[in-house]
Amino acid sequence: MTYRKTAGAAALLTVASLGLAASPASPAAAAPAAAAAPCATSTMVKETLPNGTTWQLCWRMQEQAGLILEKVFVSSRRYPEPVQVLDSIRLAQLNVPYDSGDTEYNDITDYGFGGWNLQTLTGDDCKGGSARVGSDGAPEPQRRKVLCVSAEASGLAYRLHGYENNGREPIYSKQGHDLVLRAISKVGWYEYVTEYRLHDDGQISARLGATGDLSPGDYVSADKGWPIGKGARDYAAMHYHSAFWRVDFNIAGKGKEKVEQYDTKVNGRGSMTAKLKTTKTTIAKEGSFSKVNRRWWRLVSSSSKNKDGHLRSYELVTGADDRYEAHPETTPDVTFTQSHACEKYATGNADPQCASKKSILDFAKNKETLKDPVMWVRVGFHHVPRDEDQSPMPLHWQGFDLLPRDFTEMSPLTPAARAGVNGQQD
Amino acid sequence: MLTATIDEGEDMGRRRTWGWGLGIATVTAVTAFGVASWHANAAPSPGPGTAAAEQARVSDPDPGPEPATGVGRDALTSGEVDRARELAVTPELAAGAEDVTGAKGPEYLSADVLADGGGRRAELYYYDYKTDKLVKQVVDLKAGKLAESYSAAGMQRPASEREVATALDMLLADPLAAELKNAYQKATGKQFAGKDGLTVKAHVYKARPADTGAADCGKHRCLQLVVETADGLFIDVNDIIIDLSGRTVARLK
Repeated sequence: MTYRKTAGAAALLTVASLGLAASPASPAAAAPAAAAAPCATSTMVKETLPNGTTWQLCWRMQEQAGLILEKVFVSSRRYPEPVQVLDSIRLAQLNVPYDSGDTEYNDITDYGFGGWNLQTLTGDDCKGGSARVGSDGAPEPQRRKVLCVSAEASGLAYRLHGYENNGREPIYSKQGHDLVLRAISKVGWYEYVTEYRLHDDGQISARLGATGDLSPGDYVSADKGWPIGKGARDYAAMHYHSAFWRVDFNIAGKGKEKVEQYDTKVNGRGSMTAKLKTTKTTIAKEGSFSKVNRRWWRLVSSSSKNKDGHLRSYELVTGADDRYEAHPETTPDVTFTQSHACEKYATGNADPQCASKKSILDFAKNKETLKDPVMWVRVGFHHVPRDEDQSPMPLHWQGFDLLPRDFTEMSPLTPAARAGVNGQQD
Repeated sequence: MLTATIDEGEDMGRRRTWGWGLGIATVTAVTAFGVASWHANAAPSPGPGTAAAEQARVSDPDPGPEPATGVGRDALTSGEVDRARELAVTPELAAGAEDVTGAKGPEYLSADVLADGGGRRAELYYYDYKTDKLVKQVVDLKAGKLAESYSAAGMQRPASEREVATALDMLLADPLAAELKNAYQKATGKQFAGKDGLTVKAHVYKARPADTGAADCGKHRCLQLVVETADGLFIDVNDIIIDLSGRTVARLK
């Protein structure tokens, strides 16, 4: 991409010729090159989005987990120094029980998203993007086009109609973009899309999409299915997709994040309406937790601060979710555990080195102190088939967001003219 | 020009009287956008949004040949996998373990780069059908030696291609093959003429408390086949479980 290759040089030239420095730090493009490469050139993704945000990461395919992102760094035009966000993010299970009670799959640990189940990208799989070649993670690995990297418009990033003392009325209006990483795995008749969207404002969205076809064999009684053929004869079985992700932060490369839970409750009346009180609970030891109204969690660096003096953090934002309470492992929304190398899968963890550690419940059982926390996020989707699911089935999605909270002292997309708007204005 | 306008904010007031302005913010914008925007800046543009803002492209690098070794936590290269497999199968394991065909030596399942530590280390998984144990061998690729060894019963990982092929052969040799043949005829309208052209994969099957017929699965290594014809039709043999450890084929329900 010649456009981007010339950008760095042009930036220096422009600054020099106008005698102005855009930023006291070195240009974003130059900074990561100084550090030792965390992975080979062919397994690194480093792309700059139109608003100037650069994401850099390493990727690999693993036989069971499929796509794994590692060493994820972000920088922006406003904050050109690349700062690490994640050590790694990966799928950690996909549990698929059918409402009939007679069928259940664990697609990550009993089948696998990588290796021979990973699809070679073709057709429109990576339209407008770059299909990257790399190992498929099979027992006898093949190099194939398995990762799609693309930049996609994400809609309006912000909008502000300003009024200034001098009579100017500037309109700040900006289109946002995401760097999108995508891989496709075929598990029987289902095809799953593992997707990570790295937004230009620092947000990370993790999603799992399901397409392919409904199970050809699972047709059931009327109370456990939905009629999708002619009349009321073929009741396709309702079923669950409970997905787990393993998220390991390494904020600013310093690790040792602290876990905080925030709760906001109604606490009396003010002169007009209810008073709400927000309290923080530090989660110091391993455990599983679930949402109540307005509850949220964040992982806070214990040492890295933004220029406002606030500790950097990322917040877990959960959305649509169907909880599968029939298994204890798929009941909690999130589990925090101390990092251990052999704790890889939320359920069905099978490592002879730690034979008793079979699920997140085992990992958290001894309530170890969280010195280097790993976050296990569960998001469930109860799939009630519909006529439109044939055929191929339109993608249905489930996932969550990781939202930067005080990662930078202002939005990384703040336009220059708004740079002074930090805190209460006079 | 437009880049500058977007970054500074489109001035609704000033635009009416002065047209497009070039302020300090313009410099910042141009700096980051580079050559394309710099040239675009030379002339006013009819509306907000430039080609650069609308078209978001990514690079499309040439992957080059496969390197001999990976960097950091890159996936193991095929050369590294070959080397690691040589180091992982010790003489004791080669002589004492048994693979899915009943021959000496463990059944190779998978290899992965080890997620912790520095250097290039690999963890390899094998199944020993003689003892029904999952074996994990940790290999230090740099030092060229086996570093750690673990094994445990009652643990399963996804099936290897050879295990799936063996399971299919076991099913075809069993009276329950009639169910596969019937399902094939029902799905395709044609008579089953052998395994050629079928794509077969498998879930590892572990018995649930209520299971009958395959209660040993989990302790034993068992597979549930996913059979697809060349035409993309699935043959439903979901209720048939092949116990590779016990060398039996059973029907659930």
